[in-house]
Amino acid sequence: MAETTTRDTILAAIRQGKPDLHPLPETIGFAPTITPENLVEAFMAMVKTNGGQAIRVTSLSEAHAFLVQEYDLTLPILSHVPGLDISNFTPAAELRLLDDLHLVVLEGKVGVAENAAIWLDEAAIGIRALPFISLNLSLVLSEKNLVGNMHEAYRLIDTHTGFGTFIAGPSKTADIEQSLVIGAHGSKTLTVFLLP
Amino acid sequence: MDTASPRHAKAAEAFLRDEENADWHNETLWFVRSKRDRAAQSLPEWEDLREQASQIKLHSLSKLDDYLIQLEENARQNGVIVHWAANADEHNRIVLDIMRKHKATKIVKSKSMLTEECHLNPYLIKEGIEVIDTDLGERIIQLRNEPPSHIVMPAIHLKKRHIGDLFHLHLGTDAGADDPQYLTEAARIHLRQKFLLADVAITGVNFAIAETGGFVVCTNEGNADLGAHLAKVHIACMGIEKVIPKAEHLGVFLRLLARSATGQATTTYSSHFRKPAPGQEMHLVLVDNGRTRQLASPDFRNSLKCIRCGACMNTCPVYRRSGGHSYHTAVAGPIGSILAPNIDMKEYADLPFASTLCGSCTNVCPVKIDIHQQLYKWRQVLGEAGAVEPTKKIGMTGMDVLFSHPRLYRFAGRAGRWFMQKFPSLANKSSLNPWAIHRDMPKPPAQSFRDWYAQQNQKDNG
Repeated sequence: MAETTTRDTILAAIRQGKPDLHPLPETIGFAPTITPENLVEAFMAMVKTNGGQAIRVTSLSEAHAFLVQEYDLTLPILSHVPGLDISNFTPAAELRLLDDLHLVVLEGKVGVAENAAIWLDEAAIGIRALPFISLNLSLVLSEKNLVGNMHEAYRLIDTHTGFGTFIAGPSKTADIEQSLVIGAHGSKTLTVFLLP
Repeated sequence: MDTASPRHAKAAEAFLRDEENADWHNETLWFVRSKRDRAAQSLPEWEDLREQASQIKLHSLSKLDDYLIQLEENARQNGVIVHWAANADEHNRIVLDIMRKHKATKIVKSKSMLTEECHLNPYLIKEGIEVIDTDLGERIIQLRNEPPSHIVMPAIHLKKRHIGDLFHLHLGTDAGADDPQYLTEAARIHLRQKFLLADVAITGVNFAIAETGGFVVCTNEGNADLGAHLAKVHIACMGIEKVIPKAEHLGVFLRLLARSATGQATTTYSSHFRKPAPGQEMHLVLVDNGRTRQLASPDFRNSLKCIRCGACMNTCPVYRRSGGHSYHTAVAGPIGSILAPNIDMKEYADLPFASTLCGSCTNVCPVKIDIHQQLYKWRQVLGEAGAVEPTKKIGMTGMDVLFSHPRLYRFAGRAGRWFMQKFPSLANKSSLNPWAIHRDMPKPPAQSFRDWYAQQNQKDNG
């Protein structure tokens, strides 16, 4: 029972040494400074700052038309967005085969205007590796689901999902002489479609 | 106890010998600090946000036992296997045991300063396990057999031509090629193969949430996610101070973290792990390694609020001009100089002295750690323990005598002025006068302030 002993020792040391109870702040977070009428504009500007592109569309077929133009849809494509049926790839149980994916399209639940982070939960992602392993990533988001800041986002999202993630742009790094390079390990591009 | 070796000062001197590189290092980090300022100024509530973060952390520390138990219970209910480690050795053994259980031989790691602190890599490699760091900066320094020199930008001490040469040697890139885009692409292809073949993925933890039993990992590259989702086993390693009460508190910390670290509004990926995916296994290792000792010290427990953003390093005039390696510890810079002496007081006794105490670190800290005050406090603790190096001790004793004897002080002033006027070349000789290393002594004034003041008084009254 070595593990239990370590656990007890650590907990006992904490009880011995911890400071007196310090209360939590009465309210957590702040009201957003971005006004509701500026949400879309602010969000789209931040997507660009993050290295992605945001496109306002009126319907999924408009998004579809854009994807046809932008990507070779004969390459392995997977869409988990109902109504955007462009999948031509059936994932096998072997996760490493997902490495072939050219484009993955997923549905974002909430978008945050102040940083353009988009929340995806497990239900929307399906296989967890998808948004990270695909060469290109596209996210579909309703403008109704835009909020001003992260405090508002946490009120709307379900953090009791098995896995969920905020994605804000394509994968990037600046580890070589602080030069920003888009496309480190994850997707090299991010296209966000904003629906009404 | 033995006195400290002036390792930091010696290493900093070596770093400064390459003046061009030292200037570049200084300017680059200051550039990151400026980006941080712009990001902070974009939020009118920035200062209040820091205050909330600080309060939440202090609250979490005051109920650390409760929150760890809650985290453990919830994580177990979610199907996560929870381990406790008292120190680095136990942490490393736990990871190795998991590897052995799965007959695993290949690990992909995303950045984790805790595993650096525990020296996990050399331990596993000695056991015959392939350990690949997947953060680009971490991979670069791993290929060079070096530790990280910065917690957020591990290879910030290197120029692109160094990395070009390194990749030519190890990854077969073209000789002389140093374009960051090209080199990053080569690393992507190389590391993608490692991700696809790894048995186990190790990640750090930015925040653990007692309420949900989950934890959050933030990266820009997506390496933590690629590793964790592709491998059969995910081991997340965290210091016990990383737990916060509720998911809603993440809103506060995630707004501060990337803005303080790199000036970004957020990291590209902020992933919330809670349950293992079907067919996969998830482990959470809770590590003490001196943290309960730090918690028990009212002077130093505030340092446990740290969210590892690196802002204190980017702003520190000493860090920027001495390089991260001069700190000879996993976490360099101002915050590392508080944390390291707690782990090994003798080994790291020089670090609290590697500061001007200017307070810039304290001003930028997103969780309001009183960093420069803690460094000052460490100096007193180390002085009392006799860990101050002899030359410093002699100098301090001398000054104590000088300042407590006014006549002696006045005589020394006169003697000094006379000496510097008569023998300026001797006063500027660095072998005789350490103060003259890298700087010239000022021209001595004709008279002391005291004499001048007396003269003025006479004039006014006469």
